[in-house]
Amino acid sequence: MRKVIIAFVSLLIGLMVAILFQSNQQPEDRDTRDLWEIRTELRDKQMDQQNLYDQIREAEQTLEQYQRQSNEEQIETLKKSVEQLKVKAGLTEIDGRGIEIAVEPIFKESLDGQAYPTIPPELLYRLMNELYTYGATDIAIEQERIIDVSPIRVVNGTTYVNNRPLPPVPIKIYVLSRDSQKLLDYMQVSKVNDYFAVENLEISYRVDYHLTLPAYNHPTDLEWIEPVDSEEAGDS
Amino acid sequence: MWLTIIFLIIGITLGLLTDIRIPEVYEDYLSIAVLAAFDTLIGGIRSHLEHKFDDKVFISGFLTNVSLAAILAFVGVQLGIDLYLAAVFAFGVRLFQNIAIIRRILLENIRNARLEKNSKN
Repeated sequence: MRKVIIAFVSLLIGLMVAILFQSNQQPEDRDTRDLWEIRTELRDKQMDQQNLYDQIREAEQTLEQYQRQSNEEQIETLKKSVEQLKVKAGLTEIDGRGIEIAVEPIFKESLDGQAYPTIPPELLYRLMNELYTYGATDIAIEQERIIDVSPIRVVNGTTYVNNRPLPPVPIKIYVLSRDSQKLLDYMQVSKVNDYFAVENLEISYRVDYHLTLPAYNHPTDLEWIEPVDSEEAGDS
Repeated sequence: MWLTIIFLIIGITLGLLTDIRIPEVYEDYLSIAVLAAFDTLIGGIRSHLEHKFDDKVFISGFLTNVSLAAILAFVGVQLGIDLYLAAVFAFGVRLFQNIAIIRRILLENIRNARLEKNSKN
């Protein structure tokens, strides 16, 4: 009897130890992607690689130009580079074709009246994300050009873009795009329209073949910006 | 003592073969229960060597120790106090004490056996 009890208890302890041991082992991460996913990732990586090669070639060309040219020409090239970078950063006026978005208030015939609709920043973020997703290259909200560090936020209940208050609706948003018709089609069926409608705002889109976007004309504060030290490859 | 070790090994093999896992939330309880069970087992071996093993004490000690440890851990989690540390401490100290006593008894036995051998010669 005694031996049976001891044996049973030992067995139980052994079981407990084994279960604890197994529970503490991390299950290994298995690669569960199928062929298609792997192929897609491979293609993405190849595109990244291609982009990097392009960038390298561009940089090498510029370098070569510097080396081959005389001093004055070098300065000229330098100026050209600076100009290009300025355009890229949104510090110059830019014109081209794109779409014009009009944001207008919707008035409902309710008995108790309604507040005059305003645009909260979240809606603007959403709209801009959608626009960039579908191929927008440059955006200006009224006369405020949106660049990479443009702040959009609420200050005392008013939406500020680039540290300037947004005028009350109706306002216009100008968007440049390489394929404005496609962007227009995408945006017309976008969910963003519903989100604006919830805030009593209506958006309408119109293709414009000659838009001029203003330059970003505030000082850019890059004090807190540091280059990323990662080896990530991107096409930005 | 051999019985204990053999069945411990059988238990571990069985557990590994069945591939049972418990949710991470309950791992704390199980670990404290395992500690309590070890304490009981070592205590059992010690009392066996001291010739005062009682199966009722052994089995009741096993059950109460394991459940008390789990309850203590549970209460500790509910109250936000690391009460399971108390159990770990108590069982740990007892474990070491018991092992020390077992070692002494075994050494004593070996010495006695040698003395007997010598006296026979």
